[in-house]
Amino acid sequence: MTTLIVLSALGLVCLFSEILGFRKLLHPIVLIGLLASFVTNLMDWNNGAHLFNEMVVIDNYSVAFMGLMIGITFIWCLMSPDFFTEPSSETDHFALIVFALIGTMVMVTFANMIMLFLGIEILSIALYILAGSHKTKLSSNEAALKYFLMGSFATGFLLFGIALIYGATGSFNLAAISSMISEHHEQNSVMIVAGILMMMIALAFKVSAAPFHFWAPDVYQGAPTVITAFMSTVVKTAAFAAFYRLFIHTFSASPAIWAPTLMIISGLTILVGNITAVYQTNFKRMLAYSSISHAGYMVLAILAMNQSASSSLMFYATAYSISSITAFAILLLVSHQTGSDEIRSFNGLAKQNPFLSAVTLVAMLSLAGIPPTAGFFAKYYIFSAAIQNGYLGLVLIAILGSLIGVFYYFRIIIALFKSESEEKEIKVNTLFRVLLLVTSLAALALGIAPGMLAGLI
Amino acid sequence: MTQLAWLIPVFPLVGFLVISLGNKILPKQFSGVFASLTVLASFILSLAIFLQSPETGETVFVFDWIKSGGLSIPVSFLIDHISLTMLLIVTGVGFLIHVYSIGYMKEDEGYSRFFSYLNLFVFFMLLLVMGSNYIVMFAGWEGVGLCSYLLIGFWFKNTEYNNAANKAFIMNRIGDLGFLLGIILIYVTFGSVSFDDVFSAAKTLPDNQPVITAITLLLFVGAMGKSAQIPLYTWLPDAMAGPTPVSALIHAATMVTAGIYMVVRSNILYSISPFTLEVVSIIGMATALFAATIAMVQTDIKKVLAYSTVSQLGYMFVALGVGAYSTALFHVTTHAFFKALLFLAAGSVIHAMSGEQDVRKMGGLRKKLPITFAVFAIGTMAISGVPPFAGFFSKDEILARAWTQSPVLFFFLAVTSVLTAIYMFRVFFLTFYGTFRGTHDQEHHLHESPPSMTIPLVVLAILSTVGGFLGLPTVFSEHHFFGDFLKSSLSTPGTMLQSEASHTFEWTLIGVSIITLAGIIFWAFNHFVKKHRIPAIQETEFKPVAKLLYNKYYIDEIYQSTFVKPLYSISNFFWKIVDNSIVDGLVNGVSKSVVWAGQTIRLVQTGNVGFYIFAMVFGIIAMLLYNLVF
Repeated sequence: MTTLIVLSALGLVCLFSEILGFRKLLHPIVLIGLLASFVTNLMDWNNGAHLFNEMVVIDNYSVAFMGLMIGITFIWCLMSPDFFTEPSSETDHFALIVFALIGTMVMVTFANMIMLFLGIEILSIALYILAGSHKTKLSSNEAALKYFLMGSFATGFLLFGIALIYGATGSFNLAAISSMISEHHEQNSVMIVAGILMMMIALAFKVSAAPFHFWAPDVYQGAPTVITAFMSTVVKTAAFAAFYRLFIHTFSASPAIWAPTLMIISGLTILVGNITAVYQTNFKRMLAYSSISHAGYMVLAILAMNQSASSSLMFYATAYSISSITAFAILLLVSHQTGSDEIRSFNGLAKQNPFLSAVTLVAMLSLAGIPPTAGFFAKYYIFSAAIQNGYLGLVLIAILGSLIGVFYYFRIIIALFKSESEEKEIKVNTLFRVLLLVTSLAALALGIAPGMLAGLI
Repeated sequence: MTQLAWLIPVFPLVGFLVISLGNKILPKQFSGVFASLTVLASFILSLAIFLQSPETGETVFVFDWIKSGGLSIPVSFLIDHISLTMLLIVTGVGFLIHVYSIGYMKEDEGYSRFFSYLNLFVFFMLLLVMGSNYIVMFAGWEGVGLCSYLLIGFWFKNTEYNNAANKAFIMNRIGDLGFLLGIILIYVTFGSVSFDDVFSAAKTLPDNQPVITAITLLLFVGAMGKSAQIPLYTWLPDAMAGPTPVSALIHAATMVTAGIYMVVRSNILYSISPFTLEVVSIIGMATALFAATIAMVQTDIKKVLAYSTVSQLGYMFVALGVGAYSTALFHVTTHAFFKALLFLAAGSVIHAMSGEQDVRKMGGLRKKLPITFAVFAIGTMAISGVPPFAGFFSKDEILARAWTQSPVLFFFLAVTSVLTAIYMFRVFFLTFYGTFRGTHDQEHHLHESPPSMTIPLVVLAILSTVGGFLGLPTVFSEHHFFGDFLKSSLSTPGTMLQSEASHTFEWTLIGVSIITLAGIIFWAFNHFVKKHRIPAIQETEFKPVAKLLYNKYYIDEIYQSTFVKPLYSISNFFWKIVDNSIVDGLVNGVSKSVVWAGQTIRLVQTGNVGFYIFAMVFGIIAMLLYNLVF
């Protein structure tokens, strides 16, 4: 709980800094605040609590995901100093990011449908604005508008679903709903079925699963790259943590209602994400499709519904976030200095800048799921959890999808070693050097000793 | 103190990382010294743990490596008397060889690369002997194989050396496959790969279980590859292409004894499958004799030593086969001392001869290289089993144990022993006595090696002299230090360890061997020095038997025509017919269709929000219809 208070205070400090005139100090303050919230969050480990009349529950599951998201946000803040140096909107940007983070915190600790809705909205509204934060750029504006239009459409479904379920069970409380569904054998009641499906649609939208993924490529490409990085790591992790929590804690008694549909969604997402990514020549857009396909894999953890599912989801989210944030940091560097996010900009990088191409290599291998990187064990754990619950066919599709995935991740790797070089040297400053080194080493460490994280929750 | 054991492999790993990453920044001299210091640090730590001597095995947990379902494989180290023995050998001899290499490799352009590989090797070797489960051991096993490959082909500009490296790698791969299958079978049978679980479960099993026989045979296939036993031995003589310190460290003292270590480690499994033990002793005996006969006529000084290593490894396997595990490890220890000594001394000779390795071109080096001469003499006496040098005691013990098991084994080992003395003194006299037979230039350049090379030689010579006293036979002493030390870690039923030969037999054995050796030395001196019988340069001048031996029984040629050539034609078929037309066609077809699908699906992403919402609504209606109506 302290974590949420610390972050909220941090958000307010950001807003006041403009008036009180300590704007220049804001970056270090935010970093310190994030560290502080990380520490207070860790203190809740094995020290769970139910708060506010069962509105919020803190357990190891939430602590692990909150730790991951705060950690990624910390790295993210370090890698995007340019984003904040725009004087007119510096404070807004910081405040919005902190509020978005608060939204994600609520999304992993909710014990009540209302809190879920609040969390998603706190996050989404901040994101709508952030997506359009390149005010002078048409594509950024387009992204924000598209995101807002479609996001509010999805929110409608979420609310409708909550209302239907409330109508059938008379409660917003997850535990109460869960016991109502299992005790009263109302699985077949139209209201419950429709309610669960509506909520699933809304959450599938948030995690960008097919066929509700259409917003993702356009928004990811149009939004400023740093915001895309934030969306495809922290936001995606939060959406999955919420998705998992809702379906496992509340609807696990009646998987017959939602599991077959979710299965189709998962398979479809994996295939659409991977197959479309094959044809992309733009790195940022390729990462957007790759992010869609990863959502498909992570849905498998929800379907697995067993002991190892939550820790495998956690592992996957960690591996994916680390590699993805590395990839985006690299994209920031390359696009900033060559002026384009096309895959072509990576041509011949291996000769010019061996360090940068080495970390690119690790990130791509990890995203593709090739040992000895974290991505391999992430996929391995999630697939084995799904197989234990009998989803062999779906796992075969997922493996097929990963094979296709190798093609486009390796396209980057091949570009690195192409001889035709654009002769434009890409410089990496010390901060980025350290950041990239740390994230790459983390991806390798998790691939060599996955036991460090697996089985944590 | 034991809990710090995880640091032992970390030191050389750090050495490897620093030297290989800092290759361009660090001064050249630094890498040799630093590499040696890291191994020294490991040695000191091992020694400290050894002096503290934990009574029973202690497991040091480092981190969880693989955890999935019921399978949990931690990286953890087992520190008991078996691994401590190996630790001291690997780090101790390893350190001396590192120091020696500083002098030996001084002029080489790949100086830093050499030391980084050497440190990496020590790291993997330590992983191999310290691992507390078969998977960590296997990781080390593969790692040392890799380093062996890298170091054999160290001078990679020479195609022949690269071929030797490939040969070693491929031969080892065959053995490794056996080892891997063995590990898988262990996991299937016992549900675990940790030594603790497997051995405590195996203790309760009766003898002669077919599955245990299969496991032990498969593990032994691994040992045959790594420790160069028939039929997988041919890579070791070729491995002499690597720099001489590599031959000493990897292909004599440490890596090739990994197979013996593995069998000793799994002694419980072997003890309950007598059939495998019989196979082990027969293969060991055959290898010992076979390699010794080849060594009789070889003229390359390193080749002779290589075949003698194969032969001595055969000895060790016989010891394992008769259940004398601690004796085998005793011979590993003394062999590490005297064979490292012989290789390094040979290196010193080669160094002085400007790269010449043919004993026919040497001769009379005794005066020019006094230290090398003295230490080579000690090494020769140690390997031939002249009392009181190290080899005498360990060999004597193996012979005595073989006698209690089967006189046939004993007989063949004794013959091998005689052959060993003959070929070693042949090389010794040809190299150091008589007149110089090389070119004028070589004679001009002859010089004793620098102190960085001679000091390790002297230390090893001292160890080869006194090393045998670690395990005095029962006729001299009640106390067999080495055997007692290992007893607590060998959990084999007592009967197999206690079958000792009678004192009368021991005395006879000692007496006969002294007389025989004296005879051999006298004959060899007479033959090679007095009568100047130098082996012929031309192959055609050989007698048929010598020709057969000189060509190593044509084993390489037989392998070439029975395995390699057919394999090539099968590969050719698969490449040209199966791969090129069938597989490639399928793969290209699939990839083309994926690209086509990507191109098509991409078109759905129009950028039009109206269309997106239409598609979403379409999906939602389909879902609701599916779930509510049907």
